[in-house]
Amino acid sequence: MSATAGQTMALPPAAGKRRFSSDLPQVWIGMALIALTGFGPSLVGNSYWVHTFQLVNIYIAASVFQNFLFVDAGQKSFGQGVLLGLGAYVTAIFFGLHNYPFLAAAAIGIAAAAAGGLLFALPALRVQYFHLGFVTLSAAIVFPQLLMSLDRWTNGINGIAVSMPDLQKEMVFGLSPLTLIVALYPMAALWIHYFIRRSRLGRRMRIAAISPEAARTLGIKPGVMRFIAFIIAAIGTGVCGVLYLPTVAFVSPQGFNVELSFVFFFAVVVGGRGQMLGPIVGMWIVFILPNIALAQLVEYRLLIYGVLTLVTVMLFPDGVVGTIERWRLRRSVAGRGEQAFRVDAFLDTLGAGHDATPGEDVAVEVRGGLKKFGEVVAVDRADLTVRRGEIHGLIGANGSGKTSLLNVLSGLSRLNAGSFVIDGREATRMAADRIADLGVGRTFQTPRIFSQLSLWDNLRIGIDARVGAGDPGVARLAAALEREFSEDSADLLSHGQRRLVEVMRTVLKEASIVFFDEPAAGLSQSERANFAKLVTFLSRRMGKTIVIVEHDLDLVWGVADAITVMDAGRVVATGAPAEVARDPAVQHMFVGGRRA
Amino acid sequence: MLSEIAIIVVRGIAIGSIFSIIAMSFNIVHGATGILNFAQGNMFVLGGFAAFFLANGAGVPLWLVMLAVSAMLVAACVTFQGWITLLPLRSSVEQDSWLISTVAASTIIGAVLLITQGPYAYNVQGIAPSFRILGVRTPGAYALAFGCMLFWFVALRLFLTRTFSGLAISALSQDFDAARAAGLPVRRLQLVAFAISGLIVGSAGYMVAPVISVTSDAGLRYVLNGFVAAVVGGIGSNLGTLIGGPLVGVVTMLTAYRIGGAYQDLASLLVLVAILMLRPQGLFGRSSARRV
Repeated sequence: MSATAGQTMALPPAAGKRRFSSDLPQVWIGMALIALTGFGPSLVGNSYWVHTFQLVNIYIAASVFQNFLFVDAGQKSFGQGVLLGLGAYVTAIFFGLHNYPFLAAAAIGIAAAAAGGLLFALPALRVQYFHLGFVTLSAAIVFPQLLMSLDRWTNGINGIAVSMPDLQKEMVFGLSPLTLIVALYPMAALWIHYFIRRSRLGRRMRIAAISPEAARTLGIKPGVMRFIAFIIAAIGTGVCGVLYLPTVAFVSPQGFNVELSFVFFFAVVVGGRGQMLGPIVGMWIVFILPNIALAQLVEYRLLIYGVLTLVTVMLFPDGVVGTIERWRLRRSVAGRGEQAFRVDAFLDTLGAGHDATPGEDVAVEVRGGLKKFGEVVAVDRADLTVRRGEIHGLIGANGSGKTSLLNVLSGLSRLNAGSFVIDGREATRMAADRIADLGVGRTFQTPRIFSQLSLWDNLRIGIDARVGAGDPGVARLAAALEREFSEDSADLLSHGQRRLVEVMRTVLKEASIVFFDEPAAGLSQSERANFAKLVTFLSRRMGKTIVIVEHDLDLVWGVADAITVMDAGRVVATGAPAEVARDPAVQHMFVGGRRA
Repeated sequence: MLSEIAIIVVRGIAIGSIFSIIAMSFNIVHGATGILNFAQGNMFVLGGFAAFFLANGAGVPLWLVMLAVSAMLVAACVTFQGWITLLPLRSSVEQDSWLISTVAASTIIGAVLLITQGPYAYNVQGIAPSFRILGVRTPGAYALAFGCMLFWFVALRLFLTRTFSGLAISALSQDFDAARAAGLPVRRLQLVAFAISGLIVGSAGYMVAPVISVTSDAGLRYVLNGFVAAVVGGIGSNLGTLIGGPLVGVVTMLTAYRIGGAYQDLASLLVLVAILMLRPQGLFGRSSARRV
């Protein structure tokens, strides 16, 4: 079965496609640039540039973590300078003032930075958007004030000087251990960013950042994702602080004011948000230009930071690297039309053979569900019973409460009264991610397709959300999809194809209960027919329980085993399609054909 | 002892009135555009600079004229900044761009002030005489701060409920797409909102200049405390800022007297974190219905 399927899906070969993501080449270019600036000055013996690029490379590493936090986790932090400062200052206090061994002091310093990250991360569990921008900006303002006023521990305005001559000793080719370490660290930071982005954690973080509600229906807790991202970035930036200490040999409150945090943030924006090379190019422009190239204008540097950033946002919102990257993609991307995403051939790979029929036991049951938005009653004491394996149509006019009920069932909103059970589990108070983990999947009226991810990654987040061991048939399907779509963009898919991607995502998630929210809206006549076949396949061949909210009554009557009709939040009829069609409460919906 | 409490309460409420005013200026722009303007603190300080250069030691008539001039100058700056901020935005939801451009604008204003005026604090002579309240001698500008807060609260309420533009801005804050579909001139209304926020902070900065730090780097502190006041009250709720502002003011004053002036900003940061953890929608905020 799978062998023949392998042949039927011999679509146009994937060879010759340009890579969808340029992350890896960018990392290698970044490595080369850092090596050049990190080691080059030592080789030619220019001590001024040696020292300059030691600091620049530390700042680049901090910006790499800012970039990760900003784009992969969607968190705009204006306080990364604080975390660097914590790492540097705490290390300096223990090493310089209390004579701890450097590594022990460094460990305490990194722990302090992580603790600082915790202060940012805790509110991130609850809130997002600009709130965190203000929290982190406050921290950036408060931090130097505290360094001044806690002078009993910090030496206040006098700062702390340290001396580490061993690290500055030249080894071979004029390289000192310090030069080596501060060049290797940003390289390592780039790889860390790259591998996190490619990992399951990284994908889930990105989905949580782009579409929190879609993330929650994939079993992701967006708050936890933000929290983890803040902690990773804090530790990474704390290490930058530790390296800052031997490089500058001195810490003082003025070194860690809000300006430092702005440099990291602005470097990411100017270089290109989300691009691996962004922080490097951005730091060269934002930091080197005013501080070194135009050193006589040093008091204008804040103005230069601000103007560069504003101009970037206005003219090249993707930043320097992002603009180049966009240009590259535009040249390479060509739509594949109908071929861009078809699933019929792939479904053969599944080899799911059992002919499932709806059972008698209950998969989803709502009792007296009441959902109010302010004074508006969206769902009015509704009862709903969905048997296992059946296709259950949920119909009614716009505003009759169908989607509200679906949102309740997938945990995106909570009932004000009443209760519901999924697979025998009381789920009324469950959060969306826990309901997802019960084996529930859903699609949205507007498909949640993420242009930042490749087409394959858009599907793969379904696998990422799977609970427990996978079905071998689905694993074969996944492998076939990966071969075909790993370098494709999801950007140029048609609306119907986007729907299919979302449906396939729930297949890969191996959801046993699937909610479709107006899946046929915007589909052509033939796409509707194909979709109806797909729904039947999912139910009869794969044994899934399906609830389908839909206005196309022909489609619903064509596939459904049971139908529930809602009107003004109440359930007015429920039962087998033929019965429901005869119900007087429903008849008026069919005037002029079967369209509600 | 008792007098210390009186000082803390009186000055706390007065300083808090300033935070409340800034919070109200946030609210009107946020309602119309979804933007929180990080540059609002520097715009407020611009009002203070205007008082120094236009009306330092002036008599009452000149002071009043210059009040209007200053408020309008700042309003012009904010409107221009708002125009720039709105340029790359097609809708109100693309927030990376505004977050970056308002922070950049804030940095630019601070940098220009630093370059042209230096890092010094400017002393502005007050117009209002000092007075006694609860046995505490209080600079007149504190009373002006409190009055300014009440004035803008009432003025905004009348504007938002009685005028066409105000109602239209309220409509924007409730349903952006519907307002656009109904044919409202969205971009113009948003600029009006920016202009009003400029009038608010410009007039406030001018009036309270004698009791604030008129320096190039003070803007960020005011924008943050204003934001904390807005969050405590619930973003979007002007009534909330009447509580949130004075509350934050009293907390920072209390910190200044009991722990030390250097810890004021830390205190408001902790208030911010606490309220975000415990009641993120603020005291008077409504938790908006989620859209899927």
